[in-house]
Amino acid sequence: MKSRHLVGLIWALIPIAAAAEGADVSVRDAWVREAPPGVSMMAGYMVLQNNTSRAQMLVAARSSGFESVMIHRTRVKQGLTGMEHAPQVELLPNANLSFAPGGYHLMLLNPKRALRAGDRVDITLEFRGGLVISVAYEVRK
Amino acid sequence: MMTSVVLAVMLGGVWLAATYRENGSRAILLPDQVMTLFPDPKPLTAFAFTDHENRVFDLSRLKGKWSFLFFGYTHCPDVCPTTLATLARAHESMVKSTAGAKDVQFVFISVDPKRDTAGKLGQYVTYFDASFLGVTGDNAQLGNLAGQLGAVYELAITPGVDNYPVYHSAAVFLVDPRARYHAVFAPPLDAEAISRRFELLRDLEGPEAT
Repeated sequence: MKSRHLVGLIWALIPIAAAAEGADVSVRDAWVREAPPGVSMMAGYMVLQNNTSRAQMLVAARSSGFESVMIHRTRVKQGLTGMEHAPQVELLPNANLSFAPGGYHLMLLNPKRALRAGDRVDITLEFRGGLVISVAYEVRK
Repeated sequence: MMTSVVLAVMLGGVWLAATYRENGSRAILLPDQVMTLFPDPKPLTAFAFTDHENRVFDLSRLKGKWSFLFFGYTHCPDVCPTTLATLARAHESMVKSTAGAKDVQFVFISVDPKRDTAGKLGQYVTYFDASFLGVTGDNAQLGNLAGQLGAVYELAITPGVDNYPVYHSAAVFLVDPRARYHAVFAPPLDAEAISRRFELLRDLEGPEAT
Protein backbone atom coordinates (compact mmCIF):
# COMPACT_ATOMS: atom_id res chain seq x y z
CA MET A 1 0.00 0.00 0.00
CA LYS A 2 2.75 2.37 1.07
CA SER A 3 4.94 1.63 -1.95
CA ARG A 4 1.98 2.09 -4.29
CA HIS A 5 1.54 5.59 -2.88
CA LEU A 6 5.22 6.27 -3.38
CA VAL A 7 5.13 5.07 -6.98
CA GLY A 8 2.08 7.24 -7.56
CA LEU A 9 3.91 10.24 -6.14
CA ILE A 10 6.95 9.63 -8.32
CA TRP A 11 4.76 9.32 -11.44
CA ALA A 12 3.02 12.53 -10.47
CA LEU A 13 6.32 14.38 -10.11
CA ILE A 14 7.84 13.34 -13.42
CA PRO A 15 5.87 15.76 -15.62
CA ILE A 16 6.83 18.68 -13.34
CA ALA A 17 10.51 17.79 -13.52
CA ALA A 18 10.28 17.36 -17.27
CA ALA A 19 8.56 20.70 -17.68
CA ALA A 20 11.27 22.49 -15.73
CA GLU A 21 14.05 20.69 -17.60
CA GLY A 22 12.69 21.16 -21.07
CA ALA A 23 11.39 24.71 -20.68
CA ASP A 24 12.44 27.21 -23.32
CA VAL A 25 13.26 29.63 -20.54
CA SER A 26 13.94 28.61 -16.95
CA VAL A 27 14.21 30.79 -13.89
CA ARG A 28 16.29 30.23 -10.78
CA ASP A 29 17.17 32.11 -7.59
CA ALA A 30 13.97 34.19 -7.78
CA TRP A 31 13.64 36.51 -4.79
CA VAL A 32 12.08 39.76 -3.65
CA ARG A 33 13.76 42.07 -1.16
CA GLU A 34 11.65 42.57 1.95
CA ALA A 35 10.51 46.19 2.19
CA PRO A 36 11.52 48.31 5.18
CA PRO A 37 8.53 49.56 7.22
CA GLY A 38 6.45 52.21 5.46
CA VAL A 39 7.87 51.42 2.04
CA SER A 40 5.52 50.29 -0.75
CA MET A 41 8.09 49.77 -3.50
CA MET A 42 9.91 46.49 -3.73
CA ALA A 43 12.27 44.89 -6.20
CA GLY A 44 12.38 41.35 -7.57
CA TYR A 45 15.49 39.56 -8.80
CA MET A 46 16.24 36.26 -10.58
CA VAL A 47 18.45 34.49 -13.07
CA LEU A 48 16.79 33.79 -16.43
CA GLN A 49 18.18 30.98 -18.56
CA ASN A 50 17.36 30.75 -22.24
CA ASN A 51 17.51 27.05 -23.15
CA THR A 52 16.82 27.56 -26.84
CA SER A 53 19.06 28.40 -29.77
CA ARG A 54 17.12 31.57 -30.56
CA ALA A 55 16.81 34.83 -28.68
CA GLN A 56 13.89 35.18 -26.26
CA MET A 57 12.34 38.52 -25.44
CA LEU A 58 10.87 39.22 -22.02
CA VAL A 59 8.13 41.77 -22.67
CA ALA A 60 6.05 41.96 -19.48
CA ALA A 61 5.64 40.81 -15.92
CA ARG A 62 2.47 40.74 -13.84
CA SER A 63 1.32 39.56 -10.43
CA SER A 64 -1.92 39.58 -8.50
CA GLY A 65 0.23 40.22 -5.41
CA PHE A 66 1.01 43.83 -6.37
CA GLU A 67 -0.77 46.86 -7.75
CA SER A 68 1.73 46.92 -10.59
CA VAL A 69 4.85 45.19 -11.83
CA MET A 70 7.30 46.81 -14.22
CA ILE A 71 10.60 45.75 -15.72
CA HIS A 72 13.18 48.32 -14.67
CA ARG A 73 16.88 48.81 -14.96
CA THR A 74 19.13 50.85 -12.71
CA ARG A 75 21.44 52.96 -14.84
CA VAL A 76 24.24 55.37 -14.04
CA LYS A 77 24.47 58.43 -16.25
CA GLN A 78 27.05 61.12 -15.53
CA GLY A 79 27.23 60.11 -11.90
CA LEU A 80 23.45 60.00 -11.45
CA THR A 81 21.93 56.65 -10.61
CA GLY A 82 18.30 56.17 -11.53
CA MET A 83 15.80 53.67 -12.73
CA GLU A 84 14.44 53.44 -16.20
CA HIS A 85 11.63 51.38 -17.63
CA ALA A 86 12.89 48.55 -19.84
CA PRO A 87 10.09 47.80 -22.37
CA GLN A 88 11.73 44.48 -23.27
CA VAL A 89 14.75 42.48 -22.24
CA GLU A 90 16.49 40.19 -24.69
CA LEU A 91 17.86 36.82 -23.60
CA LEU A 92 20.57 35.68 -25.98
CA PRO A 93 20.44 32.10 -27.31
CA ASN A 94 21.57 29.50 -24.77
CA ALA A 95 22.65 32.19 -22.33
CA ASN A 96 21.55 33.45 -18.97
CA LEU A 97 20.78 36.95 -17.76
CA SER A 98 20.69 38.12 -14.15
CA PHE A 99 18.19 40.47 -12.65
CA ALA A 100 20.31 41.65 -9.72
CA PRO A 101 20.69 44.66 -7.38
CA GLY A 102 22.07 47.63 -9.29
CA GLY A 103 20.87 46.33 -12.67
CA TYR A 104 17.70 44.83 -14.11
CA HIS A 105 14.93 44.28 -11.56
CA LEU A 106 11.18 43.86 -11.39
CA MET A 107 9.77 46.97 -9.75
CA LEU A 108 6.89 45.86 -7.54
CA LEU A 109 4.53 48.60 -6.43
CA ASN A 110 2.11 48.39 -3.50
CA PRO A 111 2.01 44.77 -2.34
CA LYS A 112 -1.58 43.68 -1.64
CA ARG A 113 -0.54 42.01 1.62
CA ALA A 114 2.48 42.58 3.84
CA LEU A 115 5.32 40.42 2.56
CA ARG A 116 7.83 39.28 5.14
CA ALA A 117 11.06 37.32 4.78
CA GLY A 118 10.22 33.67 4.11
CA ASP A 119 6.93 34.45 2.30
CA ARG A 120 6.43 33.53 -1.34
CA VAL A 121 4.78 35.56 -4.04
CA ASP A 122 3.99 34.48 -7.61
CA ILE A 123 4.96 36.64 -10.56
CA THR A 124 4.18 35.76 -14.17
CA LEU A 125 6.72 36.52 -16.88
CA GLU A 126 5.57 36.97 -20.47
CA PHE A 127 7.78 36.49 -23.49
CA ARG A 128 7.24 37.46 -27.11
CA GLY A 129 5.63 34.60 -29.01
CA GLY A 130 3.29 33.65 -26.20
CA LEU A 131 5.60 31.92 -23.72
CA VAL A 132 4.35 32.57 -20.19
CA ILE A 133 6.09 31.38 -17.01
CA SER A 134 4.79 31.67 -13.47
CA VAL A 135 7.55 31.85 -10.89
CA ALA A 136 7.40 31.74 -7.08
CA TYR A 137 9.67 34.46 -5.62
CA GLU A 138 10.95 34.06 -2.10
CA VAL A 139 10.90 37.16 0.09
CA ARG A 140 14.32 37.71 1.66
CA LYS A 141 15.74 40.27 3.99
CA MET B 1 4.89 68.87 -17.68
CA MET B 2 7.90 67.91 -15.64
CA THR B 3 9.68 70.17 -13.20
CA SER B 4 13.25 69.21 -12.75
CA VAL B 5 15.34 70.28 -9.85
CA VAL B 6 18.87 69.74 -10.93
CA LEU B 7 21.83 70.08 -8.68
CA ALA B 8 24.79 68.93 -10.57
CA VAL B 9 27.90 70.15 -8.87
CA MET B 10 30.65 67.98 -10.18
CA LEU B 11 34.07 68.82 -8.95
CA GLY B 12 37.06 68.32 -11.14
CA GLY B 13 38.12 64.82 -11.99
CA VAL B 14 41.68 65.67 -11.11
CA TRP B 15 40.67 66.32 -7.55
CA LEU B 16 38.77 63.06 -7.42
CA ALA B 17 41.65 61.05 -8.78
CA ALA B 18 43.57 58.90 -6.35
CA THR B 19 47.02 60.31 -5.85
CA TYR B 20 50.05 59.06 -4.00
CA ARG B 21 51.05 61.12 -1.06
CA GLU B 22 54.80 61.29 -1.04
CA ASN B 23 55.34 61.48 2.67
CA GLY B 24 52.70 59.09 3.87
CA SER B 25 51.97 55.46 4.34
CA ARG B 26 48.59 56.09 2.76
CA ALA B 27 50.25 55.02 -0.46
CA ILE B 28 49.72 51.38 0.49
CA LEU B 29 45.99 51.98 0.03
CA LEU B 30 46.44 53.38 -3.45
CA PRO B 31 45.53 53.08 -6.21
CA ASP B 32 42.24 51.45 -5.34
CA GLN B 33 39.01 50.64 -7.15
CA VAL B 34 36.98 50.36 -3.97
CA MET B 35 37.98 53.55 -2.18
CA THR B 36 39.36 56.80 -3.58
CA LEU B 37 41.40 58.71 -1.02
CA PHE B 38 42.04 62.39 -1.38
CA PRO B 39 45.59 63.65 -1.03
CA ASP B 40 44.40 66.64 0.98
CA PRO B 41 41.11 65.99 2.74
CA LYS B 42 38.84 68.98 2.25
CA PRO B 43 37.29 70.60 5.35
CA LEU B 44 33.52 70.79 5.01
CA THR B 45 31.73 74.05 5.75
CA ALA B 46 28.49 74.73 7.62
CA PHE B 47 25.22 73.03 6.63
CA ALA B 48 22.02 72.35 8.53
CA PHE B 49 19.82 69.26 8.36
CA THR B 50 17.36 67.65 10.76
CA ASP B 51 17.79 64.03 11.80
CA HIS B 52 15.06 61.40 12.16
CA GLU B 53 14.63 62.31 15.83
CA ASN B 54 14.08 65.96 14.90
CA ARG B 55 17.46 67.05 16.25
CA VAL B 56 19.68 69.48 14.37
CA PHE B 57 22.24 67.67 12.26
CA ASP B 58 24.94 70.15 11.36
CA LEU B 59 28.71 70.27 10.87
CA SER B 60 29.34 69.71 14.59
CA ARG B 61 27.64 66.29 14.36
CA LEU B 62 30.33 65.16 11.92
CA LYS B 63 33.14 65.97 14.37
CA GLY B 64 34.80 63.30 16.50
CA LYS B 65 33.54 60.43 14.33
CA TRP B 66 34.16 58.88 10.98
CA SER B 67 30.94 59.37 9.00
CA PHE B 68 29.74 57.31 6.06
CA LEU B 69 27.27 59.43 4.09
CA PHE B 70 24.88 58.15 1.44
CA PHE B 71 22.35 60.20 -0.55
CA GLY B 72 19.07 58.50 -1.46
CA TYR B 73 15.31 58.38 -0.83
CA THR B 74 13.02 55.84 0.79
CA HIS B 75 10.83 55.26 -2.30
CA CYS B 76 13.88 53.68 -3.93
CA PRO B 77 13.42 49.94 -4.47
CA ASP B 78 16.84 48.86 -5.74
CA VAL B 79 19.96 50.94 -5.07
CA CYS B 80 19.11 52.44 -1.66
CA PRO B 81 18.08 49.27 0.19
CA THR B 82 20.97 47.41 -1.43
CA THR B 83 23.45 50.08 -0.29
CA LEU B 84 22.02 50.36 3.22
CA ALA B 85 22.06 46.57 3.65
CA THR B 86 25.69 46.55 2.49
CA LEU B 87 26.61 49.35 4.91
CA ALA B 88 24.83 47.50 7.73
CA ARG B 89 27.00 44.46 7.03
CA ALA B 90 30.12 46.64 6.85
CA HIS B 91 29.18 48.17 10.21
CA GLU B 92 28.62 44.72 11.71
CA SER B 93 32.07 43.70 10.60
CA MET B 94 33.62 46.88 12.08
CA VAL B 95 31.84 46.22 15.38
CA LYS B 96 33.55 42.82 15.51
CA SER B 97 36.99 44.23 14.73
CA THR B 98 39.51 44.97 17.46
CA ALA B 99 39.12 48.74 17.14
CA GLY B 100 35.33 48.45 17.18
CA ALA B 101 32.94 50.97 15.67
CA LYS B 102 32.38 53.46 18.48
CA ASP B 103 33.91 56.26 16.42
CA VAL B 104 31.83 55.49 13.32
CA GLN B 105 28.41 56.69 12.19
CA PHE B 106 26.31 56.00 9.11
CA VAL B 107 24.09 58.75 7.77
CA PHE B 108 21.41 58.34 5.10
CA ILE B 109 20.70 61.75 3.57
CA SER B 110 17.28 61.85 1.92
CA VAL B 111 17.15 64.14 -1.11
CA ASP B 112 13.35 63.75 -1.09
CA PRO B 113 12.25 65.79 1.97
CA LYS B 114 8.74 66.14 0.56
CA ARG B 115 8.00 62.44 1.05
CA ASP B 116 10.65 61.49 3.62
CA THR B 117 9.47 62.92 6.90
CA ALA B 118 11.47 62.37 10.10
CA GLY B 119 9.11 59.55 11.13
CA LYS B 120 9.43 57.74 7.81
CA LEU B 121 13.19 58.18 7.77
CA GLY B 122 13.53 56.79 11.29
CA GLN B 123 11.51 53.66 10.48
CA TYR B 124 13.46 53.22 7.29
CA VAL B 125 17.07 53.55 8.42
CA THR B 126 16.69 51.68 11.71
CA TYR B 127 15.24 48.70 9.81
CA PHE B 128 18.72 48.21 8.34
CA ASP B 129 20.71 49.01 11.49
CA ALA B 130 19.46 50.43 14.78
CA SER B 131 22.39 52.87 14.89
CA PHE B 132 21.85 54.38 11.43
CA LEU B 133 20.80 58.01 11.17
CA GLY B 134 18.38 59.44 8.64
CA VAL B 135 18.66 63.16 7.92
CA THR B 136 17.19 65.60 5.44
CA GLY B 137 16.84 69.32 4.85
CA ASP B 138 15.58 71.85 2.36
CA ASN B 139 16.86 71.95 -1.19
CA ALA B 140 19.35 74.72 -0.47
CA GLN B 141 20.94 72.73 2.37
CA LEU B 142 20.91 69.45 0.43
CA GLY B 143 22.51 71.24 -2.51
CA ASN B 144 25.06 72.78 -0.18
CA LEU B 145 26.39 69.51 1.23
CA ALA B 146 25.98 67.62 -2.05
CA GLY B 147 28.05 70.32 -3.72
CA GLN B 148 30.80 70.07 -1.14
CA LEU B 149 31.02 66.31 -1.68
CA GLY B 150 30.66 66.38 -5.45
CA ALA B 151 27.39 64.46 -5.11
CA VAL B 152 24.58 64.92 -7.59
CA TYR B 153 20.85 64.39 -7.42
CA GLU B 154 17.76 65.23 -9.39
CA LEU B 155 14.07 64.98 -8.53
CA ALA B 156 11.81 64.60 -11.53
CA ILE B 157 8.71 65.92 -9.76
CA THR B 158 5.58 65.63 -11.86
CA PRO B 159 2.52 67.39 -10.41
CA GLY B 160 -0.16 64.90 -9.39
CA VAL B 161 2.18 61.91 -9.61
CA ASP B 162 3.18 60.28 -6.33
CA ASN B 163 5.87 58.01 -7.64
CA TYR B 164 8.15 60.54 -9.27
CA PRO B 165 11.63 59.28 -10.04
CA VAL B 166 14.69 60.48 -8.19
CA TYR B 167 18.22 60.26 -9.50
CA HIS B 168 21.17 60.39 -7.15
CA SER B 169 24.84 59.56 -6.67
CA ALA B 170 25.29 55.95 -5.66
CA ALA B 171 28.67 56.56 -4.02
CA VAL B 172 29.30 56.47 -0.27
CA PHE B 173 31.22 59.47 1.06
CA LEU B 174 33.60 59.18 4.00
CA VAL B 175 34.09 62.20 6.24
CA ASP B 176 36.84 62.05 8.87
CA PRO B 177 36.52 63.03 12.55
CA ARG B 178 37.72 66.55 11.74
CA ALA B 179 34.76 66.93 9.38
CA ARG B 180 36.96 66.73 6.30
CA TYR B 181 35.86 64.93 3.15
CA HIS B 182 38.43 62.17 3.23
CA ALA B 183 37.47 59.40 0.78
CA VAL B 184 34.72 58.04 -1.42
CA PHE B 185 33.55 54.48 -2.07
CA ALA B 186 32.28 53.85 -5.59
CA PRO B 187 29.70 51.21 -6.50
CA PRO B 188 29.45 48.27 -6.80
CA LEU B 189 29.82 48.32 -3.02
CA ASP B 190 30.99 45.33 -1.02
CA ALA B 191 30.67 45.21 2.76
CA GLU B 192 33.91 43.36 3.45
CA ALA B 193 35.93 45.53 1.07
CA ILE B 194 34.53 48.70 2.68
CA SER B 195 35.21 47.62 6.25
CA ARG B 196 38.72 46.36 5.46
CA ARG B 197 39.72 49.54 3.62
CA PHE B 198 38.23 51.70 6.31
CA GLU B 199 39.97 49.88 9.15
CA LEU B 200 43.29 50.19 7.36
CA LEU B 201 42.68 53.89 6.75
CA ARG B 202 41.65 54.50 10.35
CA ASP B 203 44.80 52.76 11.58
CA LEU B 204 46.99 54.84 9.30
CA GLU B 205 45.33 58.15 10.06
CA GLY B 206 45.00 57.40 13.75
CA PRO B 207 45.21 60.44 15.98
CA GLU B 208 46.13 62.67 13.04
CA ALA B 209 42.56 62.59 11.82
CA THR B 210 40.96 63.14 15.20
